[in-house]
Amino acid sequence: MIRYVARRLLLAVPTLFGIAVIVFLLLHLAPGTPGAGGADSVRRVSGKAAEEMRRLYGLDRPLPEQFAKWIGRVARLDLGESFVDHRPVGERIREALPNTLALNGLALLFALAFAIPLGVVAGGHPEGAFDRASGAALFALYSLPTFWAALLLQTLFCVQLRWLPLFGTASDAAPAGLAGLGDRLAHLALPVTCLTYGTLAFVARLVRSGVAEARSSDYVLAARARGASRNGALWRHAFPNALLPVITLAGLLLPALLSGSVIVERIFAWPGLGRLYFDSILARDYPVILALSLLSAVATLAATLAADIAVAAVDPRVRDGAAG
Amino acid sequence: MAAAIVGLLWLVAACSPLFAERARTIQLAERLQAPSSAHPFGTDDLGRDLLARVVTATPISLAIGLVAAAVSLGIGFAVGGTAGYFGGAVDLALSRLIEVMLCFPVLFLLLALAAFLPPSPLTVIAAIGLTTWAGDARYARAEILRIRQLDYARAARAMGASTPRILVRHLLPNALPPLIVSAAFGVGWAILAEASMSFLGVGLPAPAVSWGGILSTAASLIDEAWWLALFPGLALFLTVAAYNLLAEGLRAVTTEGRSA
Repeated sequence: MIRYVARRLLLAVPTLFGIAVIVFLLLHLAPGTPGAGGADSVRRVSGKAAEEMRRLYGLDRPLPEQFAKWIGRVARLDLGESFVDHRPVGERIREALPNTLALNGLALLFALAFAIPLGVVAGGHPEGAFDRASGAALFALYSLPTFWAALLLQTLFCVQLRWLPLFGTASDAAPAGLAGLGDRLAHLALPVTCLTYGTLAFVARLVRSGVAEARSSDYVLAARARGASRNGALWRHAFPNALLPVITLAGLLLPALLSGSVIVERIFAWPGLGRLYFDSILARDYPVILALSLLSAVATLAATLAADIAVAAVDPRVRDGAAG
Repeated sequence: MAAAIVGLLWLVAACSPLFAERARTIQLAERLQAPSSAHPFGTDDLGRDLLARVVTATPISLAIGLVAAAVSLGIGFAVGGTAGYFGGAVDLALSRLIEVMLCFPVLFLLLALAAFLPPSPLTVIAAIGLTTWAGDARYARAEILRIRQLDYARAARAMGASTPRILVRHLLPNALPPLIVSAAFGVGWAILAEASMSFLGVGLPAPAVSWGGILSTAASLIDEAWWLALFPGLALFLTVAAYNLLAEGLRAVTTEGRSA
């Protein structure tokens, strides 16, 4: 086990380096920097900003030196200042983070809470009536563009029925404390729904195929032969095995949720990380763009590592095999 | 069934030049009209016929989706196939590269590329192709890894066939069915990516019509014109669903009798 963890951590080092290189390349694509060619005048940054970037990133120095300097600053957790309001980038990210965590945390919770029972029941009777119906519904959700779903929900619940607010995190005149909680929840309902259904469909399909496959395996048959009930065999024996691929892919749900956040937070005017990233792109606020790209990729790497180690902890086949 | 829908979409695309004139005609007197017999899908904020605009957007979306998916698949299979075939240090290095790409939120990279490069269809295709290949690569790696262990590949090597010959004559034809399946999924994905970019305002530049672009207008007129959101979104949803359905159907056909 220790060998496996050590190997996995060691492999993460070049990946981390690769992430830093990609983010660094992103900076060099930016207009006004040496790597940018053919950008039209509208997209060219102002003289002052270009000067600021040259100073900040040492753009007149050779590339390896720039890279070393930038890595050195990032390693000391110095993410620089925003070009827009000259506040530290870390501070702006800390402000937006709780809003995104609330949105995505709830979305992930709901997705798993619905996807797992759905997947197990559907996988328990492959090609049964429930499997066919849920399969068709999940397929539709899987193909449904988030922003279209968001617009339709807004039209129905906010414009036609007037049940829910169009956007924002809370009403202007919302009471504080417990009374304001309902108002908060009303504002959360639609964005959380939009972020949930994609993950739900993805996880449910994964669980369903895992359970359907495990269902006909020897260990489930053996459990049934020992007198385990149909449901008991399904949940106690087939489901844990079907969960493994879900855990393996759990780390990769993070970038998918962040991508979704960009769209959902924009539509619902939600002041989170996705919105911050999008606004920074429009404002060419490079320090924020670089910091968010770097942090999200590093967070994903950490989550993937944790997932791999968790799978190895429960599955000896993984830690003994040379699965890399 | 899926193939019929995809075929129908291409047929609509082929007929779209007939609607180009209508899609361009600005009639401010008829702005934001609800669906009627004159304008079955209603009109947009400049009084242009929405049906004509949705039809005009079809070939652009399909073409960009197809080319971007091809780029992504090309990079993905080159990287993944190389990693899977050569194994060892090559595999270790290329697998890190795949892992790096999978760590970034795709939309973060898409937005950065699209915003920093000059706006054009080429930029949109390049951005989608360069950011979404990692999934294809991982898939191709596993597939080639599986095939090269099979008897016919080993027999070819034992008979002294060269590496390029084994790759092109023996491995590629056998990797083709899964390649076609991921291509079909990839097109749906790429169409969605293009629509997302256009929706966020970093996709195709102005005169080009795009479903994502119309939906972006719809978002700002949400309390006035529901039809602006409904119809282009429906077209997008049907297109993506049709390609996904096609991919699932192809997968069912190609994996038949091959189970483990």
